[in-house]
Amino acid sequence: MGRTGTLMDDLLNDFLAETAEILAEAGGALVAWEADPADRAQLDAIFRLVHTIKGSSGFLALPRVTALSHAAEDALDQVRRGKRTADAALVTGVLAIIDRLGQLCEILGKKGVEPAGDDGDVIAALAVADTVPKAPTETGEVQLRREDDIATDLQGWRSIRVPLPLLDSVMTGVTDIVLARNEFARMLRESGANPSLIASFDRLSDSIAGMRQSVSQMRMQRIDKLFSPLPRIVRDLAQDLGKKVRFATSGGEVELDREMMENIRDPLIHIVRNAIDHGIEGLDERVAAGKDVTATIAVSARQSGNQIEIEVRDDGRGLSPDALVAKAMASRILSATDARALTPKEKLDLIFRPGFSTAAKITAISGRGVGMDIVKANVEKIGGIVELRSEEGRGLSILLRVPMTLTIISGLMVRAAGQYFAIPRGSVREILLETSDSVRIERVGGGELAIVRGEHYPLLRLETVLGRNRDHRDDVEDRALVIVRPGQGQSYALSVAAIHDHEELVIKPAAPMIMATGLYAGTTLPDNGRPVLLLDVQGILAVSAIDASEAGRRMEEAVEAEAAAAAERHAAQLLLFRDTNGRSRGVRLSVIERVEEVPALALFESAGRIQAQIGADIFPVHAATLPEGDGTLKLLRLHDGHMVLCYPIDAVIDIVRLPDMVQPALAPGLIAGVVLVGGEPVELIDPFWLMEQYAGGAAAPVLRPPVCRIADDPDGWGDNFLAPILQNAGYRVVSGASTEAADVLLCLTDDGAAAHPGDVPVIRLRASAAAASPDDDTVYRYDRGALLEALRRRVGGTRA
Amino acid sequence: MMDKLYLVARIADTRVALRSRAIHSVVTVGAVVEVPAAPPHVAGLFALRSRVFTLIDPHVVVGLSSVPVAPGQRVVVVDVADHGYALLADEIEDVCFIEAPETRVTGKLLPGWARVAEAMIEHEGHSLLVVDPSHFINLPALKAA
Repeated sequence: MGRTGTLMDDLLNDFLAETAEILAEAGGALVAWEADPADRAQLDAIFRLVHTIKGSSGFLALPRVTALSHAAEDALDQVRRGKRTADAALVTGVLAIIDRLGQLCEILGKKGVEPAGDDGDVIAALAVADTVPKAPTETGEVQLRREDDIATDLQGWRSIRVPLPLLDSVMTGVTDIVLARNEFARMLRESGANPSLIASFDRLSDSIAGMRQSVSQMRMQRIDKLFSPLPRIVRDLAQDLGKKVRFATSGGEVELDREMMENIRDPLIHIVRNAIDHGIEGLDERVAAGKDVTATIAVSARQSGNQIEIEVRDDGRGLSPDALVAKAMASRILSATDARALTPKEKLDLIFRPGFSTAAKITAISGRGVGMDIVKANVEKIGGIVELRSEEGRGLSILLRVPMTLTIISGLMVRAAGQYFAIPRGSVREILLETSDSVRIERVGGGELAIVRGEHYPLLRLETVLGRNRDHRDDVEDRALVIVRPGQGQSYALSVAAIHDHEELVIKPAAPMIMATGLYAGTTLPDNGRPVLLLDVQGILAVSAIDASEAGRRMEEAVEAEAAAAAERHAAQLLLFRDTNGRSRGVRLSVIERVEEVPALALFESAGRIQAQIGADIFPVHAATLPEGDGTLKLLRLHDGHMVLCYPIDAVIDIVRLPDMVQPALAPGLIAGVVLVGGEPVELIDPFWLMEQYAGGAAAPVLRPPVCRIADDPDGWGDNFLAPILQNAGYRVVSGASTEAADVLLCLTDDGAAAHPGDVPVIRLRASAAAASPDDDTVYRYDRGALLEALRRRVGGTRA
Repeated sequence: MMDKLYLVARIADTRVALRSRAIHSVVTVGAVVEVPAAPPHVAGLFALRSRVFTLIDPHVVVGLSSVPVAPGQRVVVVDVADHGYALLADEIEDVCFIEAPETRVTGKLLPGWARVAEAMIEHEGHSLLVVDPSHFINLPALKAA
């Protein structure tokens, strides 16, 4: 009894597995056929699938399954014979039967027996649709191909059904053989075996490699399988939402590891649902946008290197970065400040944030809390990435990139704390020595960051992550940075003691309590026979609780730049004060050392200048006369780094930001220009000019400009041409007739010097450009530079 | 008959009896690789015939401080939920049939032992604790030792 039971169980399990597959495939095929009823091949395929179910169920004595599949087969046969045309009602009817078959199989799988019940409703629904009379077409030809085409096609389908656990155990077995071979190879090398032994071992080794390849292929499945339930999902959803969608798949022949397939099934379905629910516009909107009312969703797969790319593309409204930002801010997962710093791409990536849902309202279809963040997490769990390409108004394409297989990966071996660890090669972006010129490491607030060619990365030291100390045997010169990109838009620098090499690694899951640390993705056994832990580069991030998102980093830079700019603006502040003459004036705050309040008696006049005694120091004061009265007065102490000048004021008004717009004064002087502060004109003191007046050394009486007397100026050239230049240069010019004492005498004739008495220095100007003789000390009268230089030499303390 | 076969060993300074059906094998430990940041009762990893085993230190499980792994130390290999583990044994004494029935644990055990002991058994005039190796591995509420 037990034996028969087991046999029956096996048969039933085979039937269930096969039927589940067929139902998924039939659903997809039906939808495709509905779109193109003339596609005879598609119809035949569906018919064959239903026929297969009917045959198997009859053998297993499952009357309900048989009846249902018979009804569907019958209806389809009517179409094949041209007695009935394909329409939506027929397809819906057959799909209803397929659904019912699916439900029955599910119960069968759980209970082992077909549940009692009646399927009259779905069968009748199909039959009702049947009563609508349709004109028969192409009758004669079709009837000839019936059983025979089924038979031939089944011949081409040569495969066997193997239970998955068996397949897995074969895979494990082969993996063990590979590991055992590695260990054996190591022992052979160490024992110094003779060449013939090594040669025969190599042969064994080669065939093991070949076997591993074949077994890996056994795990591979056509990606068709992943696509087969999609047409059905698209059709039902589009109908529910009143949208028209054309669905196409391509690249179904691409093969993918069975386990990977399981991992991307749900993400893929979610993306397709999202596309229909959110991506595709309603009919009115499409018409208004000038688009074809029937939208297109295309799912395609292709192999690229050791990765598989699966793309879901729709021609819907695409993603609007601004709408995403608004939504994110409404859901309080983004602040307004952060939002401004986002690039358009970062805005799109918002849909991957936990708690984000793009639907304006939660719909029954995709707004159920399962967001794109879950999709992303699932894909990244298997080492894949998700990419978005959006054209607003034109459509969205979502790209899933996943590795072909999980179990054997290329790993980078690194050392830390005296032991080896493996990092998945796929997530390593770059490897640099820490001592390299292009690397700079900075310590900020207890954390570290690595700056590689201007790019900032959070820096994690593997020893710290693992809670270990550095191994004292490690050479600092060997320390390397591994720039890790665990997922899209994330990166960080992992500092390790040394880089070892690359190896093909067979990865096995580690014990649950080791996986629970979040730091490891599994174990592996390299050729040296010592176990190595594979680091979970994503988990390390989570455990270290650092934000590795590249988006955030640029934002921080922006904040820094803003702070720097603000600091710069702060530097240009203006001290507003009321001058002793009652005017509002301002001076750059940075030139003011302090504001001093002194008794009026502290000011005194000495050597023709007003001075102030403050403490033990005496400073010049910018004032023409001593203040009256004996109260106190305020002095601004201007400091240029060398000397101090006191500027008496009436009162300090305010400190304001220096306005950018300055109306400059026409001529250099105390007032550099006028600015508007709060709508009021403020005279801006020119500290440069001011200091200059007092910087000429103690002897120069700066408030009294040197006096130039122009002598022998019969034709007025001196008054008309020379005097303005001299005045500009800071001299006071007096005419030859004046009796005022002069500091310098400008003699406009070559020979008139004798007429002028006294010890006043004399500069003679000549009319000819060329000097009369080598020892001629006259200055050509149009040589402004030479003239001013001569004046400066003789008088000093003025502007050159 | 197999039900009566026990492995008598000294684990965590205590003589215990392990039901033989729970045990895969007894082997000599190879080079041990540490697992940084793992729970304290994980003494490391070692490879045996191309399989990686997780080494468990029973001392920590019963509340004692951990002991270093000596080269050539013997370990009790067990499979729990498809993963291979090895319990560090202070000494492997014997594999023998014990005819006496397993009895309820009487007396108050230290909390660490109470977690892992399932029964007691009389063997050659001594009472041995019958422990289930899987209890040394799955300790949901293990406190840091």
